Amino acid sequence: MATKILRTFLRSKPSNYITKRYESKEKSLITYDPFWNKSKKDKSSYLEVIKMFEGRDIRRRGHVEFIYAALKQMDEFGVKKDLEAYKALIDVLPKGKFIPTNIFQAEFMHYPKQQQCAVDLLEQMEDNGVIPDTEMEQMLLNIFGRRGIPLRKFWRMMYWMPKFKNLSPWLLPEKLPDNTLDLAKMAIQRIMSVDPTVKINIYQTEEIEASIDKTWIVSGQSETQKSLLAEQNQKQPLVVKGPFDVYMRDQVVTYFTLIGEIRPEHKDNRDIDDVSNIDNPPGIPGYIGSTAIPTIYNTVHEQDDGTIVAICATGTSSRDSLLSWIRLLEKYGNPSLSELAVIFTLTSPSSSDMITQDSQVTVDDEKRAE
Amino acid sequence: MNFARRICAMHRQNVGSTFNRKFGFSASNLEATQPQVQEGKFDFEDLKVLERTERRKPKIRPFMKDVFVSVFNKDLLAYPEFINKEESECLNKTVEALESIFNDSTKSRNDRKQALLKTKMYAAPVSLTHGGLAMNYTESLRCLEVIASDIILAQEISDHWVGLEALSKGLEAEQYQQIIDHLISGEQTIKLCLKERISEKITQPDFRTKAEINSQGIWHITGEKVCISNTGYLLVLCSVEAGHLKAFLVHPNASGVEHKDQFVSFRNTPGTPLGTISEQNLSQILGGSRLHAATLCRTTIARAVKACVDYVRPKFLSGKPLSEVSSIRATIGNGVLDLYASESAEYFTAGLLDMYEEPDAEMEMAMCRNFMLKHGLSRIIELLEIPALEQEVECKRVLEEIRQLAAYGDSSDSINMFIALNGIHHAGKMMAEEIKQIRNPLFHPTFMIKKIITNRHQEKDDPKLELYLADYLHPSLRVPSERLEYCVLRMRYACETMMSRHGMEVAKAFTELNRLAEAATEILAMSAVLARASRSYCIGLRNSELEMKLATCYVGAASDRVKALIKAIEKGEYLNLDCFTTMFGKKALDATTELVEKPIARTFW
Repeated sequence: MATKILRTFLRSKPSNYITKRYESKEKSLITYDPFWNKSKKDKSSYLEVIKMFEGRDIRRRGHVEFIYAALKQMDEFGVKKDLEAYKALIDVLPKGKFIPTNIFQAEFMHYPKQQQCAVDLLEQMEDNGVIPDTEMEQMLLNIFGRRGIPLRKFWRMMYWMPKFKNLSPWLLPEKLPDNTLDLAKMAIQRIMSVDPTVKINIYQTEEIEASIDKTWIVSGQSETQKSLLAEQNQKQPLVVKGPFDVYMRDQVVTYFTLIGEIRPEHKDNRDIDDVSNIDNPPGIPGYIGSTAIPTIYNTVHEQDDGTIVAICATGTSSRDSLLSWIRLLEKYGNPSLSELAVIFTLTSPSSSDMITQDSQVTVDDEKRAE
Repeated sequence: MNFARRICAMHRQNVGSTFNRKFGFSASNLEATQPQVQEGKFDFEDLKVLERTERRKPKIRPFMKDVFVSVFNKDLLAYPEFINKEESECLNKTVEALESIFNDSTKSRNDRKQALLKTKMYAAPVSLTHGGLAMNYTESLRCLEVIASDIILAQEISDHWVGLEALSKGLEAEQYQQIIDHLISGEQTIKLCLKERISEKITQPDFRTKAEINSQGIWHITGEKVCISNTGYLLVLCSVEAGHLKAFLVHPNASGVEHKDQFVSFRNTPGTPLGTISEQNLSQILGGSRLHAATLCRTTIARAVKACVDYVRPKFLSGKPLSEVSSIRATIGNGVLDLYASESAEYFTAGLLDMYEEPDAEMEMAMCRNFMLKHGLSRIIELLEIPALEQEVECKRVLEEIRQLAAYGDSSDSINMFIALNGIHHAGKMMAEEIKQIRNPLFHPTFMIKKIITNRHQEKDDPKLELYLADYLHPSLRVPSERLEYCVLRMRYACETMMSRHGMEVAKAFTELNRLAEAATEILAMSAVLARASRSYCIGLRNSELEMKLATCYVGAASDRVKALIKAIEKGEYLNLDCFTTMFGKKALDATTELVEKPIARTFW
């Protein structure tokens, strides 16, 4: 109960109250919602409603209220990331009327309600990551003039939004796939991008006869990880850890890691200031490196808590699907797994409403599997 | 007043050395200038054949290693001259015999092989008592220059010579006696199998070929090497117990040898160990292949220059000869300059190896190879641009030859590391105490103040020229010799900067080490060029005045390069942009997509 209260508290956005301070009583007094009775809720019907509003009355009475109502409905019509819809809404505002004609009008916010409405529209665009274009600038210029607040907001948006747009090193498509398998593949690729030699394999648990859950497994493992797995001490068990969450914009994918032991760290006890005996290689042509097998911690897969030897996301995130994953790994290039013990330490997921997989089975106990 | 101050401030020792330098007579070199009479080594069992007389001078300190601490052996500015009149005449005869066949394009490879047999080239480094010519490095370079017109034969004979040298030092006398006749017959040559494929797994050692001895005392080799063929004898470098390296001779048609593409694999192949040679000697002998590679590379560039000249001569542009175009002249002139520098450095190094007892010139050999490759690759592209479109086949052939030579043996990066790490190892030994104090300045405040005062000229990039190299060269070379002196004096400062910046971690500062190696390589070339030009001018060789100009010009350009390289070392990774270039490289290595967007891409419309 306490957790729920805390979560509700943390999720509330006080900033919304400030930004939507113009959501006054007048707006909530709308008795007729033109979007409400639309049976088909898509972009074309959304634009159709806007056209109908524009054609209904030459004076376009109640356009501010209409825009606020339309903004609320955007998510439902699936147009919240569509620039064309926003432009159509801006186009509802009359041209020329709101442009200040003298210094006092310009200074004391000419047509404040309309200006605030346009700013709120732009704010919604910003929240949804929609970058306006230069045509929108022209529209705002024709509506509010070059001293209008919406245009200033527009310019600020055009300064910052392109800078933030590609800031993430992991490129995602404009529209995330609806299929959870594709989403999981993307997530594993993103996690494994630390090693460019990694290979992403998609297995089906049907391949393992003893499997109960018939689902898919997206498994990521590089050649380096295979070598590290092959070199694991047979007396020490591997551990399957998870579930962990990875966010792909607003989507979450749950993944698991197979963790082994780390190799010892390189210890150099030589005095770094004493240069009287710097290592020098023998000058034999063609001879580089050393004859000894490297045995020290030096890859990105070796972290403080262990060596990550493989990573996966499964369709059900169940213990059985993970067991199938281990067996599939053994089948495809990791024969040493047959000699190693594997411990499953699965904790319950942090929040059930974020899971995008088909279903999620949580296991709280530790169990040793052969 | 000022004059009195200067007298008082002048160091007594300095006065003495300046006086001695200008007016004194020194007996320190007396021994070197006296005629030397040495007894020949007689093989009393076979009085018909006398072994070649060894006329080596006493051991000297390593030349280029000392340059890393700004110590310069001025005696070497006389240019090492080893061959006497009889030897020179004999060499000329051999060279003439080889030239008559190798410069004749109508002769086939078989004819050339016959010529090599007739002139005993397959036995060149073998002692006279074993039916060879007992050729030294200088003579072999001269012969290799001629043989290099057939690059495949030249590479083969270069490996063979190096192999023979290693066998003579490494095999027991009886074993050597048993196979030497077959080796010098030319039927089967020795091929070097040293380099290995780069490791493809994280848990693999870098050097994987192993040799193990069985209960019957026979060594067996297992591993894989880079080698163009598996015919003939193979000299295989293997690791034995405790990471030691040992070379093994694999006889022709030995079991378990397989050849695929450019790799030769060994599976339990029996091999004869070269047991009597130390790892250090082995590396010195095998390093000879680098010197040979430099010569082969140089001759290829010389051929490219000649091809350009032949192409340009009969061509015209706007009614005037094409040869009058100054940019074409400059390109060919730069080629000539590089050839002159490389030739000087190679014979200089060969002289060092031949003239002194226990020579330590491994680094110089590596420098010769890297010098020619670094300059050669860019130069050949420039040269081949002249006839590029009209003589495509010829251009492709020359480029392929250069590519093969560049990839032959080992990469220029690993050689540069060898040069720089050996140099800095040497400098580290001599400067350890100083570096320790620099790295702990608060414990040694007095030292630091002294250091600031002594380094003030170096920090202004204007060291005091106190080596007086000009005194050992022809007076007309005063200006270039001062440029060389500047470069030599900057080397110690560069080493000091690097070691005080990184401490023991200096061995991992690869980009800076690369610069240090390149600077040192240029210094070797400059020293050799100046010494050669001065010698030629003093003894009145034909076209020696051109040599003086070549030397002056080369040193002018090279000293600027060294200046820039050492300045970049001094600046450090942020100012010389290494930090960023390595970061871009890392990004490119890590990224699976394109790093930057196309210039027509947009984020908004």
